[in-house]
Amino acid sequence: MKARNLAVLAGIGGASIAALALLRGRARPGRPRSGRLRLERGMAAVRLAARGGARYATSAPRLFASAGEHRQALRNDLALQTAEDVAATLGTMKGVLMKLGQMASYVDDGLSPAARRTLSRLQDSVPPMSPELAAQVIAEELGGPPERVFATWDPDPIAAASIGQVHRAITHDGRAVAVKVQYPGIAETIAADLGNVALLRRMLKITAPMQDVDALLAELRERVTEELDYRREAKNQEMFARYYAGHPTIHVPGIVPELSTRRVVTSELADGARFAELAGWSQAEKDLAAETIYRFVFRSLYEAHAFNGDPHPGNYLFHGGGRVTFLDFGLVKYFTEEELKPLVAMVRYLCVEGDPEAFRRAMEEAGFLMPGAPLPTDMIVDHMAVFYDTVRERGPRTMTGSYATAVTRRFFDFRSPLAAYVQIPRSYVILQRINLGLFALLGELSATADWRGIAEEIWPFVQGPPTTPMGQAEAGWRAARSGAGHPGRSV
Amino acid sequence: MNAGPYADAAGLVERSAAAYAAAVPVAPEDDGYFGPASVTWRVSADLSAPVAGLRALLMQALHPLAMAGVDQHSDWRTDPVGRLAATSAYEVTVTFGDRASARRVAERVRAIHEHVRGVDTVTGLPYEAGDPALLLWVHAALVDSALAASALLGTPLAEADADAYVNEMAVAAELLGTPREIIPDSTAALARYIEGVRPDLRLTPAAAESMGYLLDPPGLDEDIAELWQDIRDAAVAALPGWAVRLYGYAEPAPLTEQRRTEIRQALGVLDAVFLGEPGVLEARQRIAVRMRTAARS
Repeated sequence: MKARNLAVLAGIGGASIAALALLRGRARPGRPRSGRLRLERGMAAVRLAARGGARYATSAPRLFASAGEHRQALRNDLALQTAEDVAATLGTMKGVLMKLGQMASYVDDGLSPAARRTLSRLQDSVPPMSPELAAQVIAEELGGPPERVFATWDPDPIAAASIGQVHRAITHDGRAVAVKVQYPGIAETIAADLGNVALLRRMLKITAPMQDVDALLAELRERVTEELDYRREAKNQEMFARYYAGHPTIHVPGIVPELSTRRVVTSELADGARFAELAGWSQAEKDLAAETIYRFVFRSLYEAHAFNGDPHPGNYLFHGGGRVTFLDFGLVKYFTEEELKPLVAMVRYLCVEGDPEAFRRAMEEAGFLMPGAPLPTDMIVDHMAVFYDTVRERGPRTMTGSYATAVTRRFFDFRSPLAAYVQIPRSYVILQRINLGLFALLGELSATADWRGIAEEIWPFVQGPPTTPMGQAEAGWRAARSGAGHPGRSV
Repeated sequence: MNAGPYADAAGLVERSAAAYAAAVPVAPEDDGYFGPASVTWRVSADLSAPVAGLRALLMQALHPLAMAGVDQHSDWRTDPVGRLAATSAYEVTVTFGDRASARRVAERVRAIHEHVRGVDTVTGLPYEAGDPALLLWVHAALVDSALAASALLGTPLAEADADAYVNEMAVAAELLGTPREIIPDSTAALARYIEGVRPDLRLTPAAAESMGYLLDPPGLDEDIAELWQDIRDAAVAALPGWAVRLYGYAEPAPLTEQRRTEIRQALGVLDAVFLGEPGVLEARQRIAVRMRTAARS
């Protein structure tokens, strides 16, 4: 227990911060290491803005400030043409650093603006594949040139993915699809670079005590390795798509399994407004969008026992009336009944039963709190309450950026008297993205809702009646699909 | 004359990056003395470039008169980082700049060289920076180091390309006043030349002090300092055996394939740091676009 576990709690976050410190070379000798995460006010907003999804168009115009008409030419000029180009651009640790940076941006709030700039530059430095190179990957994976595999193929990518790019196409049976194509050789390159344990250790040790480095490395390798195999992502997305089929506001594009492989994933094409565009929408629209995202996160968790750990704003498309398309299922964690039980119990005892001692016991059972910690229960409740702040009472509440920041601060508060006795077991580490991703996102929207009412609809031990029009519509969907069971466990 | 202690090396990456970004031209009038299809541009972009640079300094410093000129006249002790950044900006302008810019910076250096003259305290010999013999040594050390570093860690050049590189680079020496006829134009000629200079080379106290500083620069950010260890090891491993012996370093074991991979990875991280500095990505893209365009035509 104690300090050692807090590093595991910080998980990839701690690791990434170290890498980023290294990226900027800003760590000063003699700087105290204890405050391993630097929190800055207003960071969530900046972070969200910075994470609008890397698109080539955003990096190209900087080149020649006055030459907008050259952009297309420039894209072609810089395109990666061979697997060797891919290795030169993303090899020698750069791909690994990019992944580290991406993970850091979800997991913690402590990126300095300089570190964020470095990472975004690193992402900008990766040009798209040339049409020929993308076609070569399609041919290797799907057995023919894209023009034959698909009825129509757009050789110009529409978006960048972290280790690939997205093309539009129409299948032979007439479906418009998005085809994500992985850079050739990237999986091998990143796997090789992840093998340089010495360099990774050097990058990690700055913030994590040595004994934790191996655990962090294991976590990092596992996550990255998972993301490199698109089949896993396809499987996850298919599960979510099946689960939410027919849902009034939640839409997950279906997978086309026969056109999906390790390096290609084909899904139904979706279009809609990007998160950044939402800023210009009415507050009522923002509130509805926020309600949908909130329902999606907690329905998925409590009912499908699945959590999409990639809540960044680039992964949503908005359609108005609260309808949201959810994209990118590269990082999904499935929970067993056993894993979920203590979490449910904690919510129940704190928010519904009002039984602090039972809450404390549930925390101990979950492994969050060391049994027999010499701390009064009310202190523990005080410390933990902030995480449940939005669902303790009925009535409308507005999510704010400062709430998201407060949650994050509490999460990473290593100086609190509890710090020596609390930890986050590894299987729950990913859930911190609820705090650091979801709340930041909803705060960014200044979303107002009766979150407690919505939560009661979803909490398995309450299963309350609908509290909003969306809840009504959802109840109809649930009635229609009753008996479908838990798709999360059927996969 | 300077004899004070060296200033620390803080800001090495930031200042080198700023110098680099500023030196890569935005709207060149012509393709300069090399051009986007040249081997020189390819070599300059090689991941091994920092190793090449450090090895070149190690070689150059072994010439007592070249070392004396630097030690007695330049701001090397008071602002070593500025000195290195200015040198790399000079190389970038000569390589990627148009002809007028290359000539302009070369003229400036020649003007400075006019005042760099004196007597080396170790050998007792007089020197002047404009002496073609000294200019040629500095040039040859740089060219030889780029070849050695890319062969060891980067993308090795085909034999014909290596010859072409040596030949292309001759113009850089010429710009500073070295007569064309004494400049090696092939790898064989370069090797012969270096062999011929060897009897003049020795480790002076100034060289020992300077290179000791460079191999372990104080004041580097901690993380950069750790990467620097790999670059230093690589630069020493890329030196000829006789140079290692002159320095009195322990003879390095040949780099294993795994060690080379590790050094490349460290170079990649350093490159990412460099890329994160303002203007560097744009400068790289300006070069890449020109090279791509040249490759297609």
